[in-house]
Amino acid sequence: MARIIGGIGTSHVPTIGLAFDRNKQADPDWAPLFEGYAPVARWLAEKKPDVLVFFFNDHATTFFFDHYPTFAIGVWDEYPIADEGMGPRRVPPLRGHAPLSRHIATALVNDEFDMSIFQDLALDHGLNSPLTMLYPEAVAAGCWPVPLVPIEVNVLQHPMPTPLRCWKLGQAVRRAVESWPEDLSVVVVGTGGLSHQMNGERAGFNNEAWDREFLQLIHTDPLALTRMRLADFARLGGSEGAEVVMWLAMRGALSPIVSKVHQSYYLPMTTAMAVAVFEEAA
Amino acid sequence: MSVFAGNPQLVGAELLEGTFIFDLERSARGLRLNRFLHGLVIPERRALFKSDPQAAFDLARLTPEEQQMVRDLDWRSLIHYGASFFTLEKLGRVSGVSNPAMVAAMRGETLEVFLATRRVPGAR
Repeated sequence: MARIIGGIGTSHVPTIGLAFDRNKQADPDWAPLFEGYAPVARWLAEKKPDVLVFFFNDHATTFFFDHYPTFAIGVWDEYPIADEGMGPRRVPPLRGHAPLSRHIATALVNDEFDMSIFQDLALDHGLNSPLTMLYPEAVAAGCWPVPLVPIEVNVLQHPMPTPLRCWKLGQAVRRAVESWPEDLSVVVVGTGGLSHQMNGERAGFNNEAWDREFLQLIHTDPLALTRMRLADFARLGGSEGAEVVMWLAMRGALSPIVSKVHQSYYLPMTTAMAVAVFEEAA
Repeated sequence: MSVFAGNPQLVGAELLEGTFIFDLERSARGLRLNRFLHGLVIPERRALFKSDPQAAFDLARLTPEEQQMVRDLDWRSLIHYGASFFTLEKLGRVSGVSNPAMVAAMRGETLEVFLATRRVPGAR
């Protein structure tokens, strides 16, 4: 059967992708970011998962507010890189694991998660910005070493799914993965955050103390986070920072007890950039 | 009825000053404007907006008020009006305005003043 071997929580700020595309590895302003992700890339290179299940959000790029899906899952085998206003990033198209994706979509709907289902849509920085940090060799190689199952979460337009619902989605994804007969090792990724706000006079808000607490809670007491309201997340981490509910989906797909094998936090400008790796017991 | 149409998840969010929660009321108010902004992901629409903004506005049936805010790149007013930051981001990229510059404008600060409050002003 397919098995979840670990999870990654990661920011998906567009500037992470931009720093990569502009080769800022040695730039002192960006070096701490790259240093924070290097152990994650090493962990993936060592564990060699067969598939990544990616909880991410669209930024009104692929989807628009005339029909905005609450949860949507891609079931295709290739996703183009979306044009967000400057032409697409010059990175390879994303690979999809279509058979597992279709299985997870079917399992989720039968498990009472009524997903929207999409095929060959272009996907934006919500997914591709962290992906180049996880697999930095892939761009030069011209191909991603791992296929994805992309699961989109509406974190743009309220009513957003509740924190508890995101957690339960993660649990349902775990059941779906474990009901796939083929032996596959799967890593789940939750994206977003940490603290930031991109609207109004409060734009530019950050809260490192809350970010640090969140990083602790997502590891040791995620249920405490499921009891919070979205308004609490907006107050503590900024209105856009509430997107960290996607980390709860990732965490919900893991065992109650996991080890955190890496964490990095960097807050250079408007958005706290964090990454954490959680490992299941062997 | 609460400010956010009785959404229990948003109780207390109305107390956040300078914060524009993008809910269904706001989405409805901004739909036409956001549709125009979202359209900037299409190269032909970008080209039209750059070469003949009035033609692009007319195609999207923007009101004179909406047209003026877009012409002025008036980020603060656009957010107040009902634009989503994430559709505005497209206008930012097309217009060569960075996210920190948009954030500074929303705060009512110059970019220089805003950057002075950041830990790594060069990281943009």
